[in-house]
Amino acid sequence: MTDQERLDNLKAALGADILEITNPARRRFFVTVDRARIPAVLTTLRDKLGFTYVATISGVDAGAAYEILYHLAEPAQGNVNVRIKIPKDDPHVPSVTPVLPGAIYYERELQDMFGFVVDGLPDPRPLITPDDWPAGNFPLRKDWKFDRPAEIIPGGKK
Amino acid sequence: MNFNIPIGPQHPALKEPISLRMTVEGEVIRDADLRLGYNHRGVEKLAEERNWTQNIYLTERICGICSHSHSTCYVQGVEKLMEIEPPKRGAYIRYLVSELERVHSHLLWLGVAGHEAGFDSFFMYTWRDREVVMDLLEMISGNRVHYAMNAVGGVRRDLDELQIKKILDGVKVLRERSEYYFKIGANEPTFVGRLAGVGYLSKEKAVSLCAVGPTARASGVTADVRRDDPHAVYDEVPFDVCTADTCDVLGRTVVRVKELLESYKICEFLLRNLPAGDIAAKAPKKAKPNEVVSRYEAPRGENIHYIKSNGTERPERLKVRAPTLANYPATIEMLKNGFIADIPLIFAAIDPCICCAERTVELVNARSGEETIVRFSDLRKLAGERFAKSPVKRNVAWPL
Repeated sequence: MTDQERLDNLKAALGADILEITNPARRRFFVTVDRARIPAVLTTLRDKLGFTYVATISGVDAGAAYEILYHLAEPAQGNVNVRIKIPKDDPHVPSVTPVLPGAIYYERELQDMFGFVVDGLPDPRPLITPDDWPAGNFPLRKDWKFDRPAEIIPGGKK
Repeated sequence: MNFNIPIGPQHPALKEPISLRMTVEGEVIRDADLRLGYNHRGVEKLAEERNWTQNIYLTERICGICSHSHSTCYVQGVEKLMEIEPPKRGAYIRYLVSELERVHSHLLWLGVAGHEAGFDSFFMYTWRDREVVMDLLEMISGNRVHYAMNAVGGVRRDLDELQIKKILDGVKVLRERSEYYFKIGANEPTFVGRLAGVGYLSKEKAVSLCAVGPTARASGVTADVRRDDPHAVYDEVPFDVCTADTCDVLGRTVVRVKELLESYKICEFLLRNLPAGDIAAKAPKKAKPNEVVSRYEAPRGENIHYIKSNGTERPERLKVRAPTLANYPATIEMLKNGFIADIPLIFAAIDPCICCAERTVELVNARSGEETIVRFSDLRKLAGERFAKSPVKRNVAWPL
């Protein structure tokens, strides 16, 4: 299958959901869709083109807004990266775990590292950050600054 | 009566110490829960503060077993961003090291599987043979663990005629030894009986839970990035994707033994067809604003890096997903309805943390809250006892 055929397949499957689609390299496609449509888009890709495999989910702090990329792969269809944009003042995103069960740890990681609120996630507990991690600290946001707290040794010198 | 068994979380030698909390009913595991982050090093954040070259060495240190995998995955992405291509000879040497690394990782895993199954002679055999490939890697790169072979645009060290001959000789020895592993099942029905049926993961579950690497291939999923997304030399090299359909730890062993032989084939092809010429192209200091998704088949499964550049000499974002994280949802599925005695074997079977051994396990009585500390070695002894009493699964045949 050529990249042009893959591109046509994607356009036919997703139709009006595509806001932007590019093919910067061989077997690599970047599709931008609306945030609220992401579970529907992944369901369509799964049912029509066989994208059952989500390789990972990347969060990006793109300055003016956040972005999330869902990296999907299928041997014949190549690698499709579905991008959604998320305004900084409203970091809510619908969960895709009901569609692709393998996404659970990637979505929990997103919550920890970027502070997105993944609505409808079956298990929203923290995955990576420690139990005593201060609230509101999301390390992969660009404006995050870390001040290491002074170490207190129990019974040590004051 | 239900018990909760926490396993972990800390072991200093692990790359990812994790905490597993299992709900058991008698000896049967009913549910498992994972907690990560005990050794989160913030590599992705660190990468944003380092330049393109420094990050090669940072990504190499993500893992101590598949160190070359991460740096190769990163470097092949950065080369795309910088719009350069490594010379043919450089690419051949880079993926030769990749395949030798796969050999040493699989031999290591086979030893661990033998150890966890109570077949310690197999562990000693494979780890002795692993020294052959470790010596080859040391001869090529000067290092046994972090090879530091990759540079943006190629590799850092060339091979001479004598080295090529020595690698071919070494591969020949390894091939003979690995062919012996093919026969081991016929001579050791207890080993086969111990592995068969343990850690069952159906093909449907492997697909829906996005399992990768030998774990997925042992469940009959023919996913291999080297074939699905042929990058660099892999569209020129002849090799087969190895699968098994038993969906258990036996299948995972079979897949890895078969993959060893495929890797020898690839190594020999790369060495016999090694082109002449440069080993590295000159790389610019900066990369234009762009983004790239780099995929690579590490010994444990697909490794994926998402790299975004912003026109400076540092990446805007580097997202790393190691294969072990992708296999955790599948591991939970495998543990369900398994036995406590099988935890070490199932857990080792995805090749996550070989140093799990000698870690303490706490058995908590859910009703009384009474706790007993059990060492991992005792757990293994428990496994040995259980299977000494149980009848050997006589109808199980070694599939090779």
